[in-house]
Amino acid sequence: MIMAEPAARQDPESPAPADEEALVRRVRLGDLEAYDELVRRYQERIYATIYHMTSNHEDANDLAQESFIKAFQALKTFKGGSSFYTWLYRIAVNKTINFLKQRKNRVHMSLDDLDFNAEHDPDLVAFVSDKTPRREAGLAELQEKLNAAMLKLSEPHRLVVVLHDVQGLSHDEIAKIMDCNIGTVRSRLFYARQQLQGYLSDYLKPT
Amino acid sequence: MNQSENNFESLRRLLALKRHEIPPPGYFDDFPSQVLSRIRAGEAETPRAMADRLFAEAPWLLNFFRVFEAKPAFVGAFACTLCLLLLFGIIYAGRPDAMPKTALLAAMTQSAVPLADVTAPVLTPSPGQQPGLMVSTNPVLSLEPVVTLFNQQNPLAQPVSVSFSIPSN
Repeated sequence: MIMAEPAARQDPESPAPADEEALVRRVRLGDLEAYDELVRRYQERIYATIYHMTSNHEDANDLAQESFIKAFQALKTFKGGSSFYTWLYRIAVNKTINFLKQRKNRVHMSLDDLDFNAEHDPDLVAFVSDKTPRREAGLAELQEKLNAAMLKLSEPHRLVVVLHDVQGLSHDEIAKIMDCNIGTVRSRLFYARQQLQGYLSDYLKPT
Repeated sequence: MNQSENNFESLRRLLALKRHEIPPPGYFDDFPSQVLSRIRAGEAETPRAMADRLFAEAPWLLNFFRVFEAKPAFVGAFACTLCLLLLFGIIYAGRPDAMPKTALLAAMTQSAVPLADVTAPVLTPSPGQQPGLMVSTNPVLSLEPVVTLFNQQNPLAQPVSVSFSIPSN
């Protein structure tokens, strides 16, 4: 089963590989300013991935910091087989999955606020006013239901949805991060979407 | 295929809501400095990291806690057992006749004998040693009679007379 991929988010500020390699080399020589630059580049994506996996800001903050610290400490073992970005992602994902396994049955959501643009996003406004049978449901309630539904997924399935449908990564990138083949990524994504659709059926009824 | 994609299209539009979730203002301004200060201070070991390491080194401990999580009745049973043991210990320690007197006396005599044996060799010069250089590093033990508990004289430990002689040049 082949699924259409969303347009991967092209970040104009994405570093050229050579630039990234130079920064990594400087960090290996003990240059903390270079590491500061790397943290600034990837902090939002790493934080967002962990946050969407945990649905908890405090946990995401701790895990994101620990991921960057661990990456710094382990940088000497980084052989350059993949990009630093993919390697960093792997550290963050493994740390998060280990944490979630230990946290099992102790789910506590601490959600970030929605930004101002959410209220003006035509797709989301339609969900609240048109598509949702419960028209009184506001965006905040929708956000809570969506996060609760995400937490019902197993970690690997949730991760695929987060990386693909929320973060906009390609199947190939996700396969590298999760250290599995693309077929596994696709099947997990399909299964996870089916599950989510079931959990959120009230909100996804066609008009 | 297209049908399922269309079905998921609605879900994907809903999932876009998650992209609008943002941390408190200024969060990403402080984040790098927090990471770097922790690296500089070598404070990578947060309580969570310590717990991770502990559980990695002793997985049985994690299983132990998981049993408690899965069946809370075990927590109660474990706590009751601990309380009973503590209570038993307190009660048993409070009884003066908890140990038979004969056993106590035997224990005291046995403990006194090695004490006397320890003091004697200290004061006995080795064959190659000059008598004038013979000194004790623990003279108090040698001059005082060795007694056992409750001021009972130990017949095996006799006072040893010690004479100090300073060699003349």
